[in-house]
Amino acid sequence: MSDFVEQLALCVERGKVNKESLYPPDLKGQDGADELAKQALERGLQPDTILKGCILGMDRIGSKFSQNKAFVPELLMAAKAMTAAMDHLKPFFQSGEVKRKGTLIIGTIAGDLHDIGKNLVAMVVEGGGFEVVDLGTDVSTEKFLAAIEAHPGSIVGMSALLTTTMVNMESAIRAIKEKYPDTMVLVGGAPVTQQFADRIGADGYSPDPQGAVAILNKKVA
Amino acid sequence: MTSFERFQKRLAGEPVDRSPNFDIMMQFAAHYIKKPLRDYYLDYRVLVEANMAMLDAFQLDIVQAISDPYREASDLGLKVVFPEDALPLAAQPLLRAPSDQKKLTIIEPANGRRMNDRLQAIRLFRERVGGEVPIMGWVEGALAEAADLRGVSALMMDLCERPDWITELLEFCCAQAISFARAQVDAGADIIGLGDAVASQVSPDWYRQYALPYEQRIFQAVKDAGGVARLHICGDTTLITHAMADSGADIIDIDWMVDYGRVAAIYGATGPALCGNFDPVKIMLQGSPLEVKDAVTYCLQVGGKKNFSGAGCEIPDGTPHKNLLAQAEALCMRGSH
Repeated sequence: MSDFVEQLALCVERGKVNKESLYPPDLKGQDGADELAKQALERGLQPDTILKGCILGMDRIGSKFSQNKAFVPELLMAAKAMTAAMDHLKPFFQSGEVKRKGTLIIGTIAGDLHDIGKNLVAMVVEGGGFEVVDLGTDVSTEKFLAAIEAHPGSIVGMSALLTTTMVNMESAIRAIKEKYPDTMVLVGGAPVTQQFADRIGADGYSPDPQGAVAILNKKVA
Repeated sequence: MTSFERFQKRLAGEPVDRSPNFDIMMQFAAHYIKKPLRDYYLDYRVLVEANMAMLDAFQLDIVQAISDPYREASDLGLKVVFPEDALPLAAQPLLRAPSDQKKLTIIEPANGRRMNDRLQAIRLFRERVGGEVPIMGWVEGALAEAADLRGVSALMMDLCERPDWITELLEFCCAQAISFARAQVDAGADIIGLGDAVASQVSPDWYRQYALPYEQRIFQAVKDAGGVARLHICGDTTLITHAMADSGADIIDIDWMVDYGRVAAIYGATGPALCGNFDPVKIMLQGSPLEVKDAVTYCLQVGGKKNFSGAGCEIPDGTPHKNLLAQAEALCMRGSH
């Protein structure tokens, strides 16, 4: 089993989606995350071993990204490989046989349409074993509130790329805390700092996706 | 000393009365003259008026036709929406698949509505302050333009999965940029800025493969036409510091998260001039005038003889006027050193 976890983790970390994928060139022609996950289920391995492989692979690439040893293309390809493997787990998530650590509701703040950072966080968090409810871009406070109501106990993440829109986080957090005082809210984005996060009443801030996973893991530990 | 003389002397590393103020102003400038952003993006007369106001109010030493990333992409067919007073939006990429590249043909800048609007801005700048204040035009770098047309995430994955197609697309984007850059110099631009924001999101090897060669070709065309080349890559460019110097840029903008003194030491007296690099948000938007003065002074101290003053990126909308005045005051007090 540990061999399988390691093999799958390697495919995820390297962004090897499936056998047809030409990327990365040195793994050309080899099985990818898609085939490995399928074969694992056929061999009778527990579904959660697939999740373990994904988590390990995403943790490795996420750490490299935090250390400037991997970059956006590599992270996106890792997320694509992870998704290919996780697709095989959908029935097990639905039946409850495989459980996630928690749920993150995520979106860019109202007025902000820049979603690359938010997408990276969503992918790495999903790869960290959490369910992600992605509300997309330009998310109003009402949408965040409705999502919290639909997913009780979830954590909220909001991002902004622009200095003009990051100020909208403050009113959104205020409204969330008013209605759901126990809901944890994380913020991030290029102009956002720990100082700003503290000032607007956010419960957490991370400059990179892996940091967000660490905060979430601490919360659900 | 006029702003133009200050710019030329600083570029040559010669003594000046004060370091030129090369802050990038867009949204702030529009709102300063109480115009909605839509007008700033779509009407060159508003853009020019806003820039002229910056000269008087905050002692800038440059007028700039930069506005948003979508000038070229709009004329190439990207559907861009301009809300009344917000940033332009491109809801759907123009290139949804590699086969969509057949939609693209090089547009003569004078025949493109938005590219021509920039040419008109430059001509009007020329009439108003030509020879006294340096006039800056702008193009998207090939990699940035490819991202505008394809979408950032899709482009990043294409670099991995479809490198041959991306190389073809970059060739196209480079040709369009060269055409636009030449037209702007012909219209009267002294400087051509090249924005390649997405280039800070790839590895140093891929920067050298997918961004640098095109920056080099565009800048060579700028220089051949008689212009000065300015490179602007937003984000942390620490790992590509050396490579950026190979672009051929005369002036390189350095964003706030990079160690400015280290870059100045690497480039040395014979390398490109630097522009930067205090934090536009923490210092300029949220800091005090004293913090601005300290940050500006620090950059002057470590930036070398060719240092231009500027925030690491665009001056944010809503920046307190007193902070911009503090920058101007710090530059005057500090003089040439």
